[in-house]
Amino acid sequence: MALLLNTHFHLAVDSLHRNRGRTFLSALGIAIGVASIVLILSLTGGINHLISASSNKNNADLILVRPSTGKNIADNIISELTSNNQFTKSNLTLEDVNTINDIPEVSTVAPIATSVSAIKIGDRTVQSANIVATSPAFADIASLHLKNGQFLDSGLRKNIAVLGYSVAMQQFGGTEAITKTFTYNDKHFMVVGVLDELSDPINYNGINIDESIIIDINYASTFESSIQIQQINVRTTTTDAVSKATEAIKQKLTETKNGDESFSIITSAEDMHPAGSLLSIVSGMLTLVASISLIVGGVGIMNIMLVSVSERTREIGIRKSVGASSGNILLQFLFESIILSLIGGILGFTLGYIGAFVLSLITPFAPYISWQILAITGTVSLSVGILFGIYPAIKAATKDPIVSLKYYH
Amino acid sequence: MSKEKNETIIELKAVTKRYGFGDAESFALHNFDLIVKRGEFIMIMGPSGCGKTTLLNIIGLLDKPTTGEYLLNGKNVEHISSRKKAHFRAKEIGFIFQNFNLIPNLSVIENVSLPLIYSGYHKVRRLKKADDILERFHLREREYYMPHQLSGGQQQRVAISRSLISAPSIILADEPTGNLDSRNSHIIMEELRDIHAQGNTIIMVTHNPALTTYATRVINMLDGEIDTDIKTVDDSELPRPGDPEKISVRILSKKRPVELEVDSKTKVVVSGQHVTIENDKIKPKSTKKKTDNKAKKKHKAEKKES
Repeated sequence: MALLLNTHFHLAVDSLHRNRGRTFLSALGIAIGVASIVLILSLTGGINHLISASSNKNNADLILVRPSTGKNIADNIISELTSNNQFTKSNLTLEDVNTINDIPEVSTVAPIATSVSAIKIGDRTVQSANIVATSPAFADIASLHLKNGQFLDSGLRKNIAVLGYSVAMQQFGGTEAITKTFTYNDKHFMVVGVLDELSDPINYNGINIDESIIIDINYASTFESSIQIQQINVRTTTTDAVSKATEAIKQKLTETKNGDESFSIITSAEDMHPAGSLLSIVSGMLTLVASISLIVGGVGIMNIMLVSVSERTREIGIRKSVGASSGNILLQFLFESIILSLIGGILGFTLGYIGAFVLSLITPFAPYISWQILAITGTVSLSVGILFGIYPAIKAATKDPIVSLKYYH
Repeated sequence: MSKEKNETIIELKAVTKRYGFGDAESFALHNFDLIVKRGEFIMIMGPSGCGKTTLLNIIGLLDKPTTGEYLLNGKNVEHISSRKKAHFRAKEIGFIFQNFNLIPNLSVIENVSLPLIYSGYHKVRRLKKADDILERFHLREREYYMPHQLSGGQQQRVAISRSLISAPSIILADEPTGNLDSRNSHIIMEELRDIHAQGNTIIMVTHNPALTTYATRVINMLDGEIDTDIKTVDDSELPRPGDPEKISVRILSKKRPVELEVDSKTKVVVSGQHVTIENDKIKPKSTKKKTDNKAKKKHKAEKKES
């Protein structure tokens, strides 16, 4: 049996080799489909990798509590797509922050509430500044480093602010912005610190801290009637306490909210970055679109195999008359289409990788090639070969030898 | 492989092959009975459409009779699977066709070794066997030619080599000389006669009455039935595989001497009309003894057209 398979393999290779031009073109169809899938997967993989590499740094003891409006996935997609307003109806409150802070396993807690509003710097009005209201513990939790001055401190005045690096550079004339003032919501704020530029502006907070003005949440709650907490960042005392703390937070919050469970708790074991699920949806969609080109390639293979079968009707007749069984003929043609699509798969994988590499030169993401992508490529091209090769092969195998021998073309 | 003399290898019992139904019904074969003994060279004649090719296809297991029994080597083939039938074709049956039916994009040696693929030979052994048999048909220098680079006679010799490669018990030839001129027809018939002389069973369909001299039995068919059936050689006289080897040599070139190695020790040199036999064991001049060599050698120096 192994010998027979080996022979069929060689027969198929020989026959493909004889029709090199045709083989190359039909493999190219598959190659383009596979290349686009590899490109998409490696790029989204690269982005994912970049994000999770930066957000999972030192975050093993981190728990995020986020409000969630419901379990419906479709709703989540829409709310994620409309990102800035995503949690406008947050049901997390400052009391919840205190509740969480009381749990023994929790070491620090920092709520985050963001809004985009106009601020006045002197006479100038900045229309859309990102205001982040949080607590002093945030610097610790998010590992923020100061370039100048200091972070929020409960011991200081309430109306102070810390600037993200970009905001300081663009709106406050450089990193020496300390003691400069601005007006937000008719309240005066004084800058007490400027943050260092962050290496990972995209992170689990869902905000770009470089672009943000950080103010105290307790103060903000005094003049903003309903403050919307988008996220509560919790750090536990030890890494081992994460699961226990998670349970406790869930229980306590459910208790204080009278059984309302419309919040979600995320630990670093899961995907923490806010863009994660959106990214995987987009990459899934793109892969789906790319697989359409794979189907086109598959139909191309089927077409070329059907032509090949009818061209070689006489050969099939001869082979049958000298002792080939229908199974032999079936295998011979099936092997041809499988090899054809595997060649396409290998070609496509190489092309896709080269493409991803070229793209990585102009984008910040390194191409991400994993064995999963290789496995997907292999499986996909193998199944395309079988799927689109089986019909022509059956057609070849069921040909009547007597009729085939009389066939002229 | 000692096979009993006059062993029956093919037996057809009331075989009928019908095409169409009702008004359109026609019989390619009608209650056809045939017994073929090992070593027979049967020539089947008859007008077009009398069922000759259908008969060959049924014997070659390519076609099934509508009714009736077909026993191959004493075994009823009605219920054997198509896979087994294919296996039988690969091992026991050799086909020779009018239009040679070589695969155009395979070289001569690959075409010849084709049946061995399906009887499970490794590539090296396949090519070795094909090489041996091509040497026998004086086509060794043409092994890596493509079929279209050969003359019709050479192509048919390649096809005959292919039919013989797995040492089948029956050779079925469907007008093997139909596409050839008289000279090539003659060469092919000589080859078939040699094959027959080595104990092979041949069933051949032809339109050419002149060729019937080669046969041991001539069957005339008419409308799917046997019209006449004449045996020119008695069953007991039929050749068997164990018979002493006969070697025939055809010299096509008058000018150049031709050397033939019979075995590692014996060499035959043919130069013009002179035949010299060189043997290590035999001293020169004692030519008489040579003909008593354990293998009875018959050398035929044929000179055909200058």
